[in-house]
Amino acid sequence: MTAVKTTETAAPAGEIPPALPPAVTGGARKRRRRGGAFDRALPYLLLAPALIAILWLIGFPVVSVFVTSFRQLNLGELVRGEIVWTGFDNYVTVLKDERFWTVSLRTIVFTVAVVGASVGAGLLIALLMRVLTPWVRVALQIAMLCAWAMPILASTTVYQWMFDQNYGILNKTLVQLGFDSYANYSWFSSGTSTLSVVGLLIVWQAIPFLAFSLYAGLVGIPRDLYEAAGIDGASGWQTFRAVTWPEIRSLLMMVTFLSTLWDFKVFAQIWVFKEGGPSGESTTLAVLQYLEGIAKSHFGVAAAISVLMMLILGLITFQYLRRLLQTEEGKI
Amino acid sequence: MLKKSAANVAGLVLALFFLFPTYWMITSALKPKGSTITSDYDLVPFSVTFSNFVTAWTKPGFLSALGNSLVVTLTAVLAAIIVGITAAVAMSRFAFRGRKSFVLLMLVAQMAPFEALLIPMFLMMRDLQLYEHLTSLVLVYFAVTLPFCAWTLRGFVNGIPVELEEAAMVDGCGRWGAFQKVTLPLLGPGLVATSVFAFITAWNEFLFAKVLIRSQDRETLPVWLSGFQTAFGTDWGGAMAASVLFTVPALVFFLIVQRKMVAGVTAGAVKG
Repeated sequence: MTAVKTTETAAPAGEIPPALPPAVTGGARKRRRRGGAFDRALPYLLLAPALIAILWLIGFPVVSVFVTSFRQLNLGELVRGEIVWTGFDNYVTVLKDERFWTVSLRTIVFTVAVVGASVGAGLLIALLMRVLTPWVRVALQIAMLCAWAMPILASTTVYQWMFDQNYGILNKTLVQLGFDSYANYSWFSSGTSTLSVVGLLIVWQAIPFLAFSLYAGLVGIPRDLYEAAGIDGASGWQTFRAVTWPEIRSLLMMVTFLSTLWDFKVFAQIWVFKEGGPSGESTTLAVLQYLEGIAKSHFGVAAAISVLMMLILGLITFQYLRRLLQTEEGKI
Repeated sequence: MLKKSAANVAGLVLALFFLFPTYWMITSALKPKGSTITSDYDLVPFSVTFSNFVTAWTKPGFLSALGNSLVVTLTAVLAAIIVGITAAVAMSRFAFRGRKSFVLLMLVAQMAPFEALLIPMFLMMRDLQLYEHLTSLVLVYFAVTLPFCAWTLRGFVNGIPVELEEAAMVDGCGRWGAFQKVTLPLLGPGLVATSVFAFITAWNEFLFAKVLIRSQDRETLPVWLSGFQTAFGTDWGGAMAASVLFTVPALVFFLIVQRKMVAGVTAGAVKG
């Protein structure tokens, strides 16, 4: 009996996507064992592989990105194995470059737009799912699952085909509907237009996770709260404000935070569509870092861009991150 | 009543919106050669062929890319799950000095913006002589998925009553026996869900795969597909067939979790 119950309570966490801390974090079961040296060493032995891996493969690169950002490191220095310290030169180079500011601003605007659109639409769809007839809800869930499961590169390729200038189904449909100016219309002739298509692609693929998570949150709200609101004669909007909103606010903030982390550093979709073009107009910070570091082999300058990238992301998410760490620390 | 049918109509329209790219990918892949690139309005395919799949399957590089992707992804996820389980058990079942900091380290590590570590990772793999080796990708994907696996599995282990293990130990099981016979089987669904999400993450990864591997015979599928225009030209039918083949493994894994997910949701609803 207990066994069955355990799997059941464990199962909802299955929908938790990468990086979402499980909603069901039961208090850890602490147990002091009296025993030999082996027993006392056992937890450390169990942790050792993970700790070593994290220090080596995450900790070291984090330190290294800061160190590299203070070095002059181009292909020449790399091949010769020279270590040339330049102090803040790389940062001066980056910050003096007007392009960096344009790209940073563009990245922030893009992130805010994409996160806002996907979280907003995800919430609306989650609310909608509650009132749907069961078979319509299942149809919508299956459709969203298809979007969610498609690998990023596959969906990017499909979108390229749908938005194709000459034979894309979108332009053909628009012409059928009477918008003749869309015959052979290029959706990738400007940065704004390119980023809009990329944004649509990202939002389309991000909504399913958001809608599923928020729907799970909505389903978990006790029914009697709504009954009480109904008895009190609350309108639909009042019920939302007084019952639904307080119950899902923390979940909503969590998924907004995660979406920000994910959407800020998007690279694949932007790169595959236009490699940051036309003429650099759809370049974001992740693309800039790649162009500077890998394409031009200016590793020092690129490391400075990486550090600034983390700084900007840190500034955007700082408030929430602090609160998250505090609550999690309390739970452990 | 009217409100409900309006909602249902909206729901169906949204379903079409989410389904259409998948539909378009599959039907484009099934169209015979000359009828993909056409100015005719062809929302519904009239004749069906599998020749595009043959084209994609036999394209130079496809099979090796598929193999590379499978090897890299599965190795990394397997390693992350094994190391993650041991860490999860330590975090959840033992009291020891430094436990709290370690748990917080896991939480922070899974939020690390990996893309911003591109340059040091590249330099490190070069120093280790792993540049151009699939091992470098295995290491990166292992590192990306490990904190998430450890954190999520910790949640699942927390959900299993420690009393069950204690009972097994009273009955004469060793600590390992109790873990193997009691905890591990109960951890099954959690393991499946965790490894699927780790799999999807690694299966999708593009930036590091592009930067750390340059030679064509070691490419993974995302990188191979991103250069499809060199392989397919304007053969969109072939490109769509390749996309379908790329999607199938991910979709299969997703459906596995979906069942668990629905079961979880309904279980919660019954408990009410």
